[in-house]
Amino acid sequence: MKLRRYLSSVFVIAELELRKIRHDQSQIWLRVIQPALWLTVFGVTFSAIRSIPTGQYTYLQFMTPGILAQSVIFVAVFYGVVVVWERDMGLLNKLLSTPTPQSAIVIGKALAAGVRGLFQAAAIVVLALIMKVDLILTPLSILGVFVIILLCGMCFSSMSIALASVLRNRERMMGIGQAIMMPLFFASNAIYPISIMPGWLRVIAVGNPLSYVVDATRSLLVTGDLSSLGVDMLVICLTTAALVSLASLGFRKILS
Amino acid sequence: MTEAVVVENLVKNYPTAKAVDGISFTISAGEIFGLLGPNGAGKTTTIRILLTLIKPTSGKVSVLGVDALAHPGRVRQMAGYVPQDVSVDGEITCYENILIYAKLYGMRGDQRKKRIEEVLEYLGLQDRANSMVNTFSGGMMRRLELAQSLVNRPKMLFLDEPSIGLDPNARTAIWELVKKLRAEFGTTILLTTHDMAEADSLCDRIGIMDRGRLAVIGNPSELKCAVGGDVLTINSEAPGLPAAVRELGYSTIGSSNGSIELLCANGESVIPRLLENLRAKGVETASVSLKKPTLDDVFLKYTGARIGEGGSWKQARRTRRTFRRLTR
Repeated sequence: MKLRRYLSSVFVIAELELRKIRHDQSQIWLRVIQPALWLTVFGVTFSAIRSIPTGQYTYLQFMTPGILAQSVIFVAVFYGVVVVWERDMGLLNKLLSTPTPQSAIVIGKALAAGVRGLFQAAAIVVLALIMKVDLILTPLSILGVFVIILLCGMCFSSMSIALASVLRNRERMMGIGQAIMMPLFFASNAIYPISIMPGWLRVIAVGNPLSYVVDATRSLLVTGDLSSLGVDMLVICLTTAALVSLASLGFRKILS
Repeated sequence: MTEAVVVENLVKNYPTAKAVDGISFTISAGEIFGLLGPNGAGKTTTIRILLTLIKPTSGKVSVLGVDALAHPGRVRQMAGYVPQDVSVDGEITCYENILIYAKLYGMRGDQRKKRIEEVLEYLGLQDRANSMVNTFSGGMMRRLELAQSLVNRPKMLFLDEPSIGLDPNARTAIWELVKKLRAEFGTTILLTTHDMAEADSLCDRIGIMDRGRLAVIGNPSELKCAVGGDVLTINSEAPGLPAAVRELGYSTIGSSNGSIELLCANGESVIPRLLENLRAKGVETASVSLKKPTLDDVFLKYTGARIGEGGSWKQARRTRRTFRRLTR
C-alpha cells in the first residue's frame, strides 16, 4: 500500500507538469526549433563537407541520434531553474506540506522532464524522416528509444535539480547550465565519433553519460548492432539512479 | 484532547541568526491563534517547523497530539497550509489545482470528485472551475489556495499572512471565510500577520513576536486594557478647564493651550458624565475625542518598537513580488 501511494504521488507530480504542457503546447514546439536547426543547417552543411568519418552511414544518419539526445538535455539541464522558480513562487513549500515524500517530488519532476523530452524526440524523428534520413523504425527500436529518452531526461534533470539545491538561485543556475551543456554535448559522440578526438578528450567522452545515451540510440535507430546496448543501458540506469538519489537527498536544502 | 498545538522551548538557529529563540505556547482545539509581529520576527519559521517543513534546532512540538518531530507524515496528513506567497499554479485551471492536491492527499474516485465540488462551492469558485488561474484576481487566488488546503478537511489550518497584498474587500472576504470555517467545522487555526486590524478582528488570542521571542500572549482586548485604557482629549476655550478636570478626580496626562488629555477606563461611558460635571462647574466644552488603545500600542509597550520597522531586503522583495503577481 505504501509503495502504491508513493508511486501514485510520483505520477501526480508528473501529471501536474503534463497538464501544463497540455494547456500550452507552444513551449514544446518552440523547443523543437533549435535541434531542428542543428539537423537542417549544421547537419546538411557537414554532410556536404564530408569531413567527419562516419563509416558506412551518412552524416545525417550518424548525427540524428545525437540531436535527439541533445534536444532532451538542452531542456533537462535547465530544469533546476524551473524548480528554483517554483521555490521562489512558494509552490514547493506548499507541495512539501502535503504527505508527499520529497523523493517522490524529485522523481515526479524528473519523469515530467523525460516526458517533455519524448514529445521533442518524436518531432525530431518525424523531421529526420521528412529529410529522408534512413532510420530503423521497428516497434522494438521505437520502444527502446522511448525508454532511453525518458531515462536521459530524468538523468539530466535530476542532475540539474541536485545543482539547484546547492546553487539556489536562478542566475547561478543559468550560468552553470550554460557551462555544463557545452562540454556535455561536444565532449560526447553526439555529432562526431569519439575515435577522432585527441586522447585526453576521449577519456572525458567515455566518462560522459551522454555518450552512452547517444550510443544506445544510435545502435537502435541506425546501426542495428546491439552488442554494446547492455553496457549502455547499465550505465544510463545507474547514473540516473545515482543522480535521482542525490537530488532527493539535497532537495529540502533548496528551501532554506 | 483540548490542546491542538503544544510548543515548548522551540529554538531554530541559522548560521547567521537566531530565527526562533526559545518560544513556548499552546493553542486549544477550535481556537484561532495569531502570531503578530514585524517581518523577520520568526513567525513563518515557527509555522514551517509546526508543519514539519524544517527541523528545529531544539524544543518540543506536538500538533493534534502527534509529536511533529517523530511523525512528520502524520502531521502533514492532518494539516492544511496556505503559505504567504502565491502558491497556486497559473498555468492550469482552478479545478486542476485542487485536483492535484486532492490526489496528493490520497483521495480517490467519487469521494475525491465530491470533495472538490464541495470546496469549490464553499469558496464560491464553482463558476470559474475551468478557468485558467492566471486570469484570476488576487482574492480569487487566495480563495483557491484555501480550497486546495481544505479539500483534505484539515483539523488544523496554518495561514501565513492570509490577507497580504489583497485589496480591502478581498481581505474582509477572507476574514469572513476564516471565521465561518471555525464556526462550522471547529477547525483550529494558526495564522501569522503583521496587520493589527487582522489580528484584532480574527484572533481569540494573539502572541506578539519580536526577534524570535514571544513578548506576550493574551486575548486582544485584555492586551489593550493592559496598556492602560482609553485616552480622552477635551478641547475648550474656558480658562478653568485643567483645574476643573483635576477637581473632578481624573488623572490628566498632558495639557496644552485649550485642550487636556486624561486617562480612563471605558471612555464611552465616562464622556456624558464628565461633560455634565464640567458644565455644572461652568466650563463649556468645544469638542471631545476618544482614542482607544490599539494593538500597535500593545506592540510598542512589549517590544519597544512600532510594528512595520525592521524586515530584510529579501522579505521586502518577496512581499512586492507577491503583490505584483497578484495585481498582474
